[in-house]
Order: sequence, then structure tokens, then C-alpha cells
Amino acid sequence: MATQPHSRKRVCYYYDSDIGNYYYGQGHPMKPHRIRMTHNLLLNYGLYRKMEIYRPHKATAEEMTKFHSDDYIRFLRSIRPDNMAEYNKQMQRFNVGEDCPVFDGLYEFCQLSAGGSVAAAVKLNKQASEICINWGGGLHHAKKSEASGFCYVNDIVLGILELLKYHQRVLYIDIDVHHGDGVEEAFYTTDRVMTVSFHKYGEYFPGTGDLRDIGAGKGKYYAVNIPLRDGMDDEAYESIFVPIISKVMETFQPSAVVLQCGADSLTGDRLGCFNLTVKGHGKCVEFVKKYNLPFMMVGGGGYTIRNVSRAWTYETSVALGVEIANELPYNDYFEYFGPDFKLHISPSNMANQNTPEYLEKIKTRLFENLRMLPHAPGVQVQTIPDDAINEESDNEDKVDKDERLPQKDLDKRIAPENEFSDSEDEGEGGRRDNRSYKGRKRPRMEKTTENKEPEEKPKEEVKLEKSEESSKTNSDDTTTDTG
Amino acid sequence: MESRDSHNKDDTPSCSKEANSPTKDKLFDPSIDMLVNDFDDERTLEEEEALAAGEASDPSAELSNLEKEGNMPLDELLALYGYNTKEKDSSSESDEAEEDSHVMEQDPICELLVEKPKSPTPPRHSKLSLLYESNMEDSEDTRNLTSVSRLTDDEDEDGDSNIEDDDYQKFEGGLHNIMVGNDYQAQVPDGLTNYEQFPANDNEDKLLWNPDEIFSQDVEDFLIKTRELFKPPIPEGNVLRDDEEALYILKECDYKVEEALQQLIEKGSSSLKVTKRNDTKWSEEECRNFESGVRSFGKDFLQIQQNKVQTKTVGELVQFYYLWKKTERHDVFANKCRLEKKKYSFHPGFTDFMDRFLDDQDVENRNCLSGKALDS
Repeated sequence: MATQPHSRKRVCYYYDSDIGNYYYGQGHPMKPHRIRMTHNLLLNYGLYRKMEIYRPHKATAEEMTKFHSDDYIRFLRSIRPDNMAEYNKQMQRFNVGEDCPVFDGLYEFCQLSAGGSVAAAVKLNKQASEICINWGGGLHHAKKSEASGFCYVNDIVLGILELLKYHQRVLYIDIDVHHGDGVEEAFYTTDRVMTVSFHKYGEYFPGTGDLRDIGAGKGKYYAVNIPLRDGMDDEAYESIFVPIISKVMETFQPSAVVLQCGADSLTGDRLGCFNLTVKGHGKCVEFVKKYNLPFMMVGGGGYTIRNVSRAWTYETSVALGVEIANELPYNDYFEYFGPDFKLHISPSNMANQNTPEYLEKIKTRLFENLRMLPHAPGVQVQTIPDDAINEESDNEDKVDKDERLPQKDLDKRIAPENEFSDSEDEGEGGRRDNRSYKGRKRPRMEKTTENKEPEEKPKEEVKLEKSEESSKTNSDDTTTDTG
Repeated sequence: MESRDSHNKDDTPSCSKEANSPTKDKLFDPSIDMLVNDFDDERTLEEEEALAAGEASDPSAELSNLEKEGNMPLDELLALYGYNTKEKDSSSESDEAEEDSHVMEQDPICELLVEKPKSPTPPRHSKLSLLYESNMEDSEDTRNLTSVSRLTDDEDEDGDSNIEDDDYQKFEGGLHNIMVGNDYQAQVPDGLTNYEQFPANDNEDKLLWNPDEIFSQDVEDFLIKTRELFKPPIPEGNVLRDDEEALYILKECDYKVEEALQQLIEKGSSSLKVTKRNDTKWSEEECRNFESGVRSFGKDFLQIQQNKVQTKTVGELVQFYYLWKKTERHDVFANKCRLEKKKYSFHPGFTDFMDRFLDDQDVENRNCLSGKALDS
């Protein structure tokens, strides 16, 4: 695929200086303070001035209910430490109380986290930035009507839903040590989002993420799970991450990517059990970045906070394509980084229980699954698969594996974020009414099918894409309508 | 025990359930057909689970296990009970490890440990639900799986645990499955949408800095000048650090350096509230009240705020806490507490960060840092 090393990117960074002030409670491993530590390192490394900086809006209840249920959000908005007693029943129902405690400012915290990811998605949709970072986001366990694993509102799902307005296919990659169950579940039955999660599996939270969980209905084969064992090191991780993601890019051909950079997969994490270094973790960012797709990076887990801020600082520098010194600059939290005061960390001597054979086996099996995708490179010109596979009955059999297009055709498809072209919109008029965007505050579509592309026009590739896109979407429409 | 258990459990996740079976210790290796066909592997699972469940209540299995252990070579026996399983598990792809885990699963003690969690039950329509009816209602169910490896080692030197930070035990576990239905999935529209106008909240994302508006060299010059105007709170290193307040002013002045500098001189950087950073000073009295609050309420900052330091917000307390805990002042405080509370003997060395820091750093830096935390 068209990858391009070390390109300078416009990077946009979302941060609210209040975020570090929320406190889950004594002894709770989740510490929003780590986001402030990261921010402070960015400032002191001089990376801040190289990015476009936003303080995100607070996501409204209306925005959150684009995914979450009204009940659940109403509950989150009402619950406070001083009125918990009145909400006993609901707390049980929504799984709030233990892992996900009620703390002072809980709802605001969710608003900031979600606001950042939604804002980042809007920014990418407008093509006003190429990489957007929200370290306050990445809360991948939250479910539609349930808190889970320290996560209340799933900013990632909200961000992806926003991206889906402009992108036919969005790829979600999760390198947190825990399975990205909330995001996977939210998109388990759609073929417009592929979720790929690398995680420790077996007697481990949240318990999901089996190799054989591959999605359902239309979304079958669009959930990819890479179950791993203790001790994953940089080398082993790369040996599985690179081929899987390459294959996913090739077959799914997303037009935008979201990477959840959970830092609990680092060595020495308080809750994790992998052995990655900051460099190895950052390599994932580097690799995904090379695809030059609109790219959203969010935070996630990470419970040894000095390492979390190291990793996210480094990954910010990777996004920027700027090298930073291993010597940590003085900063407000300098003492946290003793005794070495370096950016990079060393792996421990723990054994890697993932043998090359094991990883190879997983890889082979996942490749087989990916070959079941209707998008297999062969068929994509005449059918844009997303809608083509609406008829559940024949989605698997349709694939003609023998029919492949030459690589250059694939490369064309990579051109970022141009899924919305004039012709496409025109062709879409009929379908719009079908979509349920109930209760949306923002007016935007519906009125006209005239397209309003963002001011900043993409590069040359647009033209290339257009004709191809339009023919595809047209065929989409027909398939959808008959389906 | 637990961590060994988890090792053996996660041994080849693709076949972990199958390993439970006493009759089939062959590696379960589903073909792609089986993967595609949900029905098949779930039926297999069901069988396995049924077998495992039966075994738990069968006393003769226990006897035969004991006998087996009696005849076992010492090192295997050690492995069985959790000694040097590391080495064993690292080769777990091999048949040997496979067998090991098989034996352990039969052990009634282990059975107790593994019994409940069969955790990654297959998604939704699984027939397992018949066997585990109560568990399937996952949201109502208690989470009885506690585990797991490495909660405790290296208990958090980033040091949030200095003051009775109990090891966090409740986290791991859960009986969640990926569920399918309207109550679970996001509503994904079929097609695309254009922003007819930008989203309503668009303007509420507040731009604080845009690097494209000004040459980076000019920014650096500007930052150097502001640094001369205001003594930086922490020592300068080799890297030119960013001052978010000053950069915001520069942005507000349309990236006109002279104008921004003028404003900065007039206002003084401390009056800027844009980024809300360190903008409140703490009096000695507030510090003392804060410490007494920590002593009474632990790190319940809401309680501390309500009862001890009403002049600050809870957020400010949290911010202060993270600076304070790395200061000498905190050290003194913690030492006093340690003497008072026996509890601390369980966590020796918890407050040694500062000592270690002292060893490594020259005194000047330290003074500057700890001074700052309290004065700012």
C-alpha cells in the first residue's frame, strides 16, 4: 500500500487543563492525572507549539446519546457522590459503583473525554488536520447502557460515528492490553467499521476477545481479535501487528483510522502483563501513520502513570515526525520519572509466553478470516462492498478469491477522505430519508443533496477517486434498495 | 496460585476450554470451516463444559488425582503446585505443557479456582446459557472473578500509593460477552452525510494555538523573550519549553509578537487564566489543613474539601496533591504518619522517592522543584 515514511503532518491536539483534576478515588488505578503529566511533558519538550491546540467543548447529552441510551446518560448526569444512596438500583443496572465509581465531577470528565474525540473526528472530516490526538479519550470498555472497566462514556464509538458521516469505512485498532470490547460490541454487526484488538486473553478482563469472535450479521468478519498471552515484547508484537494491520488495510481499505493507544500494554504496568517498551508501543503509531489516512489517536488504559506519560509523549512526537531527546526535560512532575529520568524504558526479563509458532497460528487463522471479506481486493471495482453484502445470505459465498486486481488499483483506493464526492451525494438523495438521525440538533444534511465539501480541498487524488467512487456508490444504491 | 492458574488457562486461548476436558487433551484446532460455523464450536464447548462440571462433583476423580500425584516425579509435582511454572509455561505450546495443564485442571483445588470463570463464554446465542443461566444476565450478576497476575509487584512507584493505596483487587474478571441487539450496537447509518454547516459545537472547541500562523523561528524568539520577562518556575534544560499562557496571548494578538509581549508585560503572566494552570496560590494554613485532611479522610478529596479546605475546589486539591506528594514536605508528613499508623509497615519504602531523588539529583534542582510545588 502507499505508505510514505516520515511525512510531516498537521497534528491537532485536544486537551482540557481540568482533566487531570478528576480523581476516581483512593486506591483506584485509573488516574486522569496521567493526561496532565503527558501534557506537561509535551510543553517541556517544546512539542506543544508545533501542534494546533484546542480545548474541546464538553460533549452534550445529545451528542452522547448518539450511541448511549438516554436512560444511561441521564443517570450519569444526575449521579453524584452525595446522592448515590437514591440511585442504588440504577447503579447496579448501569454497573456504576465498584470498578466505575461515582466521583466528584464524573459527568464533566465524561464530557471532556468524549468532547475531545468528537471534536477530533469533526476536524478530520473537515480535512482541517491529518492527525488528531485526544489522550483524554480511548475509554473503550463503555457499553451502550453500561459502564465498564473504568469507562463510562465511549468516546471512541462517538468519534467513529462522527467519522462515518464522511467515511464509508473506518478502521479501529486497539493496542490496549485489554480487549476493546465496548467498541467491538458497538460495531459488531456493521461492515462499515472494522475493529481490530490486540490484547491479553484468558482469565483477564473483560473476558471477551476470543479469536473466534469475528462479528455477526453484516458485520461478520469485521471484528478481528488477536488474543495474546503474558509477556509480549516489542519484537513479538511487531511480528503480529505489522502483518495483521497490513492485511487489514489491504482488504478492508478504510478511509480513516482510529488508534486506541492504551498504555497498559507497556512493561511494568500496574494492571498489565505485557513487556512492551515505549519504543515498541510507539512503533504501532508509526506504522499506522504511514498509511497517510485521516488518523485519530486516543488514549485508554495505562496504570503506571510515569510510563503512560512517557509513551503518549513519545507517540505525540511520532505523530509530529519530530525527534525528541531521551533525556527528559525538567517538568512539573520530574520526580515521578526517577531514578533515570529518561524517556525510554527497558523491558523486564519476564518470559514471553507467546511463541513464534503461536503467533504464526493466530496470524494464519486471521488471514483466513480476512479472506472471507467481500472486499477482498478482487471485487471492489464493481461493488463497494459495504452495501453489497446487505443480503446476508450470500455474503460469504460471493467472494471470488481468484479475481484480484493489480496493486495499483488498490493504491488508488487509499486516497484519504474523499469518499464524499459530488456525484456520490447526488446519487444518494433517495437513501437519506432512511437514516434515523432522530433528535439531532445540528441541521446539516437532509435539506439538499447538493454537496458542500469542506473548504480545503484535497489533493489531486480527488479527481482520480471521483469517477470511481461514483460508479461504486451508484451500484451501492441499487443494491441497498433491492436489499 | 492465581497467576499460575491464569497461565495455564490462557494457554492457547483458542483451545482453552477444550483443555478442561479429561478425555481430550489433544489441541483443539478448529478448521476455518468450524470458525465460520458458529454452531459447531459451541456445541463442542457445551460438551466440554458439561464434562468439566461433572468432574467437579465426582469424588473418584479427586482420588485418582491424589494417586497420580503420589507417583509423580518431584519436579512435576512442584510445577503442579505453582513452583517454577514459569519455565513450564513458556514452552506451553508443547505437548508437555498441554498435559500439565490438563492435570491441573483435574485437581479439585484448581477446579475451585477455575470453576466460575469459564469466562470467555461464546457470544450470545450460545447454548452454554442453558448451563449458566444465572451468569448470562451479566449486568445483574456479581462479578466473582477476582484475579490476577501482577497487581502488586512494583506497586506503583509513580507513587500514588504512598498513603494506603490499597492494592487494587477488584478489577479483573467479569462475565461479559459481546451481545447482539438493539440494546448493544450503535446505530450506524448506511451512507454518508455532509456537514451542511459545521456542527453546532464547532465553535465551542476553543483554539488555543495554531502553529501554521507564524514561522517557528519567530515563535522561538518570542518564547525566549517571554522567558526573560518572567522567571521560569522550574529550571531550564536544553530544550526550549513552551509557555502555553504566552502562546495563547500571542495567538490572541494575531501572532504579532510585539503586541503580545506588550500585553504580557502589562498583565503579568500570572493573571492569565486561559489554561488554568497553577493559577492558585496555597497559603501555609491551607497546606496544613490539606495535610490534616489527608490524615483524616485519606485521599477522599471531596471530604477534605468539604471539611478542611473549603477555599479550594476539589480539582485544585487533586492538582495540589500530585505536586505535594513528591515534595520534602510530603516526606516529612508521610514519615510522621508511618510512625502513627502501623499499617505502613506493610509497605516499607513507600515514601522513599524523595530520598532516591536526592541521591541522584543535585540539591539545587530539588530545592527549586519542591519549593515550587508549595509556593505556586
